[in-house]
Amino acid sequence: MDSTALAFLAAGIGAGITVFGAGMGIGRLASAALEATGRQPEATGDIRTTMIIAAALIEGVAMFAAVICLLLAIK
Amino acid sequence: MQMILNDSNESQLIAKADGYQNTEKPEQAQQTATESHDSHAAAAVPGDRSDIFLKLLGKLSDHDAFYFGAYKVTDLPKIYIDDGFDFYLNTEQAVASGKYRVEEHHGHSTIVKTSTGHKPAIDLSITNFVLFEWFAIFICAFIFKIVFNKYKKNPDKAPKGLQNAIEATILYIRDEIVRPNIPSRKVADSLLPYFMALFFFILTMNLMGLFPGAHTPTGAIAVTATLAITAFFVINITAMRVSGVGAWFHHLLGGAPWWLAFIMIPIEIIGLLVKPFALTIRLFANMTAGHVILLSLLGVLFFFNSVYLSPAITAFSLFIYALELLVAFIQAYLFTILTSIFVGLALGSHGDHEHAAETAH
Repeated sequence: MDSTALAFLAAGIGAGITVFGAGMGIGRLASAALEATGRQPEATGDIRTTMIIAAALIEGVAMFAAVICLLLAIK
Repeated sequence: MQMILNDSNESQLIAKADGYQNTEKPEQAQQTATESHDSHAAAAVPGDRSDIFLKLLGKLSDHDAFYFGAYKVTDLPKIYIDDGFDFYLNTEQAVASGKYRVEEHHGHSTIVKTSTGHKPAIDLSITNFVLFEWFAIFICAFIFKIVFNKYKKNPDKAPKGLQNAIEATILYIRDEIVRPNIPSRKVADSLLPYFMALFFFILTMNLMGLFPGAHTPTGAIAVTATLAITAFFVINITAMRVSGVGAWFHHLLGGAPWWLAFIMIPIEIIGLLVKPFALTIRLFANMTAGHVILLSLLGVLFFFNSVYLSPAITAFSLFIYALELLVAFIQAYLFTILTSIFVGLALGSHGDHEHAAETAH
């Protein structure tokens, strides 16, 4: 394998791991938020806002990784 | 293949898919004449379509003329500052002056100085993204002018239509985003116009990319970086204004004893810088990712060169398009709320005292 092939391989594996991690994170977050909404339906609005912010932070980290994978693939 | 990918317009892409096997029309052949012959040879080999994705990706980058879809509407001025101020109406004029020349590599062209072969020191050229950013400003101004006139005409009537939508959004930003996150009411209200402008400007730019033929200015890292740098200054200048410059520098210690300063100050400075950096990457990556997925789906059609895939690709593209609509709103909301949270964090304890005093009476 030459270096280009290795870079493509790394980008592909990296994107996969990124999606795995981000999916785990957002999945756990959503399950916790749903549980909290079930326990306390009157706080739905607050919980949703907090959940979206936390999801954005997780997504931000995932996006860093995605950008690195993209750079590996196109450079 | 080069010919197909030189057009970003989707309908043209599809229309020319039949001309894939080197059965191009004369005027298209002329277009490709500038391309090297080996790329044609590569295109003739069935199965070798590996660079199709990279070519599609190039469509997302900035252009030096005003393109609407694949159609070049007009040339845009080139402005360079490098031993003096140079203004040219278009690329041809810049080349004709003899000071600059066009250098081609990897299929896209860059302008370099004839004397040194480097890019000009400061490139202030008006590009496609800049133009679409200006369109966003005009659209925002236009909509708000209409709403403003309506308020002026019927100040006592209940709002309806566009006026109602804008009023609801403004109230949402004030009551759900800015006021809860910035502890001091006075500071929150003084920063309200900034957050309004931020939200509506980003939202307009995000939504603009969903019109066929238009481009997303927030899909350029320069645009999002500028917005984030503005946010950085708003966050820190507000903190300095409210709690004082001395307190702001003291905050760099992070409440640790003075002999830990050599660890704490670098960490706190990184903490200050990483916030706008994260804002930049988040908006840019989210807006670009949707377009990349759409282009990848379209690329699948060319990759397999089959018409039977098109119903599935159309359905998936529509789904992604709807998702992008959602993401456009969410990202505008997130940029605004995260900036307001960062302002609230930067105000720290000082804001809390004021807030306590306010709620007391």
